[in-house]
Amino acid sequence: MTPLSHVQKTGSLSSDFVRTPPVTFESLFTSVAHAAYGIAMRLTRNQADAEDLVQDAALLAHRGFDSFMSGTNFRAWFFKILINCYYSRRRREKSRPVTSDLDDTPDLYLYARSGQAGFPTQGPDPASLLLEKLGTERIVGAINRLPEEYRVVSTLYFMEDLSYEEIAGVLECPVGTVRSRLHRGRKMLQKALWQIAEEDGIVSQPADQEDA
Amino acid sequence: MTRLDRTNCEEAFRRLDDFLDRRLTPDEMRIIQEHLDICAWCTREFSFEASVLQGVKRKVRQLDAPTDLVSKILSQLPPEQEGQS
Repeated sequence: MTPLSHVQKTGSLSSDFVRTPPVTFESLFTSVAHAAYGIAMRLTRNQADAEDLVQDAALLAHRGFDSFMSGTNFRAWFFKILINCYYSRRRREKSRPVTSDLDDTPDLYLYARSGQAGFPTQGPDPASLLLEKLGTERIVGAINRLPEEYRVVSTLYFMEDLSYEEIAGVLECPVGTVRSRLHRGRKMLQKALWQIAEEDGIVSQPADQEDA
Repeated sequence: MTRLDRTNCEEAFRRLDDFLDRRLTPDEMRIIQEHLDICAWCTREFSFEASVLQGVKRKVRQLDAPTDLVSKILSQLPPEQEGQS
């Protein structure tokens, strides 16, 4: 234990009185690195790209650490940098085709389809059987089918227990925008999940049902 | 959002997402809960939606970061400048 270890960051005792409690970039980064990697991995779907993304964000955050106000939410501050890095990378890539048929998803889509297909719709955890059959990769794949603005907000929502206000801070948009994108994104996600379940034969496709 | 003194299925359903994310006031939460206590149909729908959200969270969070992630990244940061503020 070195009581003055934080002084190593600034190298000056005057800053000691400004930055309380004493923190280092390294300690703060370490506390959020795995969560950041999780978000990066879900956004990029690629381990090497995810590591690069976190690395880019760490470099920028380290460079701008003096602008971080000690005592405020480092996690949200770092995620904001991470998401900006992600958007920068996306702009350099070709734009993805957007699956627009998710737009008109009705409410309770998965509930209705599950009931029709004979999956449980009640009980202590009624969606668990379908989600177990789908598995993590297909669920991540369904989130990836969402249009970009819904995909990013949904990834933050599902990966981390961030409040709407924190997500709004990360994305630099109004809380109302987060709320509406999350609510709409959830509906789209349900349809995307069902599409994948049909495509991969986890549930019967309508044509199969007609043939049967 | 309109003031909520009591609720029916339609009013409750309109607040489903906000209820699940605990975005309502304590009074609104209580009123929706009171409706769920007496409406089996809404309870099924709300429970299913909650189950989807929790299940998706559980699944997508099943992820391990590389063990050397932090050390690798920290080792590539530029060294601190002496006297940097």
